[in-house]
Amino acid sequence: MSLNVAQRRLLQEYRSLTNNPPEGITAGPISEDDLLHWECLIQGPEGTPFEGGVFPAELKFPNDYPHMPPSMKFLGDVFHPNVYPSGLVCISILHPPGDDPNHYETASERWSPIQSVEKILLSVMSMLAEPNDESPANVEAAKMWRERRSEYETRVKVSVRASLGL
Amino acid sequence: MAEEEINLPSLVIVLLITGLAVRYFFFSGNASSANRQPGGTGGASPEELQRRREREREAAVETIQQMFPQVDRRTILWDLQRHGGNLQATTERILAGRTETPPITFQPPPPPTSPETTATQQSAAAANKYAEKKAHPDLITRYNLKDKLASAPSDDAGAATAGAPKTGGWSSNREERQSLLQKRRDQMIIEARRKMEAKIAAEKAAAAASGAAGGNN
Repeated sequence: MSLNVAQRRLLQEYRSLTNNPPEGITAGPISEDDLLHWECLIQGPEGTPFEGGVFPAELKFPNDYPHMPPSMKFLGDVFHPNVYPSGLVCISILHPPGDDPNHYETASERWSPIQSVEKILLSVMSMLAEPNDESPANVEAAKMWRERRSEYETRVKVSVRASLGL
Repeated sequence: MAEEEINLPSLVIVLLITGLAVRYFFFSGNASSANRQPGGTGGASPEELQRRREREREAAVETIQQMFPQVDRRTILWDLQRHGGNLQATTERILAGRTETPPITFQPPPPPTSPETTATQQSAAAANKYAEKKAHPDLITRYNLKDKLASAPSDDAGAATAGAPKTGGWSSNREERQSLLQKRRDQMIIEARRKMEAKIAAEKAAAAASGAAGGNN
């Protein structure tokens, strides 16, 4: 089986993520038959309402990875200003390389081939801890987070428990 | 005689006027209500009709699918379309196993997910939590961990700590890698679940304690 650039790179990343897994992250292809489709688990960061939770997400890589970024989608309920109700994650590192036409993000914040799956997952973890409400993906969550923080936290905690079957 | 002759036409006129009045009342009532329905949706009555037909068709498909979950939507739609949308007849044909396979060229209209999802998205604002919770099974169900969770917790915890350094490595065997990854995933979820259980138990105990203390407040 000959692997193309994207597949080789992903296998290499899979390997390093397996040998040196970052705290609270498990990631890998769902099946090695398709290296462009991963599933990962992210632990909710401590000291946040997501604490104690484990959040499954899928990563879909384009054929021209690592030139273009993957897309990431949470597979469970993640009520967060930067996560669309569909679960799709919206953060700068997942945006295609180059300068943001709206000048919100600098090129260095966006995707580039020197980024990695590990960096994405760590960014998502810190996003869970610190939402960016400048361009919310989930307006309802952003509004609640801004205006009724305690209600937002309760809402998240309840869904974390439900996701663990409790 | 002359008086009677005058009376007759006037009677006719009176009857005519009442008749017209009654007709006007009834008809105008009907007409206005009939006009208003499509008018409310932008005055497009063919569209409204189309939508109504779609709704009827979807209802029929749903009814049939409830009875025969094994029959796919496309076959049902094909049969309904071929036989004038008669639900009864289609049901009978399915029962008798006389349904035809639709030709490849048959492109059934997509299930009404798009209008429904937009509708749910709108109502989701209100019932967001519940809708999403229903859509996503919890992790224990999702990863089929019920049995592992049921096994003795102390055993598992011991195995987890003992197995942790081992599962961290990269295996050259593809299947082994796959199963190690799965194991790590399962472990992560089971651990989270146990921790959360303990936390909830601790909270309950604390609540009970503060409840007892709160009696003094």
